[in-house]
Amino acid sequence: MRLLSISMRNLRIRMVSTVLTTLAIAVATGLYAAIMLMAQQTRDRYEGSIGGYQAVLGPKDCSQLELLLNTIFHVGDAPGQVPISVCDDLRAGKVSRRGAVRYAIPQARGDSISRWSFPVIGTVDEMFSLYEWQRAPLQFAAGGPWSFSYVELQELGERLAAHESARRAEEKSGPPRPVIDAKWKRAVVGHRVARQMQLSLGGVIVPVHGKHGEFGYHEHPEAACEVVGILAPTNSPLDTTVFLPLSVHLLVGGHEGGWFKVEVPSGKNPDDAAKLPVTARQLALTAILADPKDHLGAQFLRRDFGTRPDAQVAWPQDVIPKFLQQLGNAADWLEIVAQLVLVVAAMMIAVAIYNTMNERRREIAIMRSLGARRSQIVAIIVGEAAALSLAGAVVGVLCCHIAALALRSTVEEMTGVWLDWTAFAPRELYLLVGVGALGAIAGLLPAWKGSTTQVADNLSQTY
Amino acid sequence: MIHLHDVKKHYRQGENSVLACEVSDLRIGRGEQVALVGRSGTGKTTLLHLLAGILRADAGTVEIAGQRIDAMTEPQRDRFRGQHIGMVYQTFNLLQPFTALENVLLGALFGRGAGHDAEARAKSLLERVGLADRMHHRPSELSVGQVQRVAICRALVNDPEVILMDEPLGNQDKATGAQVLDLLLQLAREGNKTVVMVTHDPESAQRMQRTVDLATLRRSAS
Repeated sequence: MRLLSISMRNLRIRMVSTVLTTLAIAVATGLYAAIMLMAQQTRDRYEGSIGGYQAVLGPKDCSQLELLLNTIFHVGDAPGQVPISVCDDLRAGKVSRRGAVRYAIPQARGDSISRWSFPVIGTVDEMFSLYEWQRAPLQFAAGGPWSFSYVELQELGERLAAHESARRAEEKSGPPRPVIDAKWKRAVVGHRVARQMQLSLGGVIVPVHGKHGEFGYHEHPEAACEVVGILAPTNSPLDTTVFLPLSVHLLVGGHEGGWFKVEVPSGKNPDDAAKLPVTARQLALTAILADPKDHLGAQFLRRDFGTRPDAQVAWPQDVIPKFLQQLGNAADWLEIVAQLVLVVAAMMIAVAIYNTMNERRREIAIMRSLGARRSQIVAIIVGEAAALSLAGAVVGVLCCHIAALALRSTVEEMTGVWLDWTAFAPRELYLLVGVGALGAIAGLLPAWKGSTTQVADNLSQTY
Repeated sequence: MIHLHDVKKHYRQGENSVLACEVSDLRIGRGEQVALVGRSGTGKTTLLHLLAGILRADAGTVEIAGQRIDAMTEPQRDRFRGQHIGMVYQTFNLLQPFTALENVLLGALFGRGAGHDAEARAKSLLERVGLADRMHHRPSELSVGQVQRVAICRALVNDPEVILMDEPLGNQDKATGAQVLDLLLQLAREGNKTVVMVTHDPESAQRMQRTVDLATLRRSAS
């Protein structure tokens, strides 16, 4: 028999009070652990996911953060359109001769697949040959890339422009609307897409307009694509991405209205602009991934796109850390609130045990009569408080991780962060120890009261 | 073994100080079995608490086994009580949430330690008093006589030199009480333990080697 076994027995006797107090501590600890888990995993996820993105070009009429959150982390809807002429100019070195890039890869998005709403990105095959994730081309766990080059995109752009211009001019004998070529119906899917949808090579995915369950969403059966490649895991939003040839994205039914980026000329109204002819250089994208050849090239890109009216360049390495700092400040404040909640819960422990001291006077007097020192009485009561709070802390941390498991799809949709519910951080261990210590401190007041129990006065009661 | 000299203990009642116990001189030898008798309010229980070190005398000396417990600090008295004194109360004072065995082990925990040896000794004592099949029962599941025997085992588990009893048979019928007292005295004799028992019952007092009337111990009486 040990002092701790007496503490445990005392907790068992007062089961209702023990359970309620444990729950209070569990809620407070769970809240704290959730804030830590979210803050840490958001930081890790965002910092770890910008490794493959040197520069992202996009529409001018959104913030850089908005552009990056949508392009890299799939948060929210595409914030606007940027004409392919920007991409053409970058690739041709026309923006600035000294601002040359290693690659400029067009992207267009708006569709998704499955009930998990994995985003579908239309792009070109340079995504698998030139683009580098963590300084190496994307690795395939199975299969390989599909083929759709930038030149093919430009040719398709010409055909789309001819068709659209004729339609706008209301010519009855204009070129027909291009259709999706069977050879383009290929998809490369991220690792988690394949795992969650149980897709293997040869499987078929059907893009959905918008997101599953949203108002106006509908399937694009004409764009059903065969899975030809499954990417190796990157632990980034790439794992939840579906890559299709940009041609498929452009040619699915209902996307006609977004084919071209048409500016309304000054002095004209939107109805007039809708009748203006379009060119292939106006083909609309949602973003362009670019990689300057050197540091100087990056400076020139920054300068040139500072004044260009049709596009802006965002640098993930600059924007995301600032964003995380702001996020960190918010998390710090939330942590302070959680700490206060923990202190309140610890006070509940103190009150709950303190209130039992009157009814425990005889029990304590008996132990003292058997030779128990005041310090041992203090140890028993402090042990109760510490055990109570430690149990609550363990329950709270476990509940936090279970909640992370249950809510990770929702959290990912809102923040782009896929919570790893199995990841236990060292800080959580410190949290457990800290909450246990806090409980022990809370137990000191009732312990002091218990230790001052008058032995002789309390021995004569009958049980 | 036990020597009290010029001991006084007062209690405060409001603004008044009441003399609760006074002993001019009391000597009890090792292995002696003494009954303390006296009218209610003469300070029998207070004297037991002074001997146990639960209370501290306002004046005088209390010596047990050659040690002045009146000069000890409270933690020293607690430790001394745990290791050298076994106590049996009229109200038994077993802890309800614990089994018979655990109650006996509690005595060891606060005395000489509740290791494996203590557990073996506790089981042996419980078997000796006929509670082998009741070790894991709680006090509420035992008869009054069985509870009293558990209390005796708890008092003996640390192998103390002195056993103090406060009306130990007050809650039992005479036959059962006599059996329990005989058992305790037998165990005490086997271990050459000094026994001091406070009692109102003349029959119980006759079973002891000596009877001391507390009224005769007051300085005014002597």
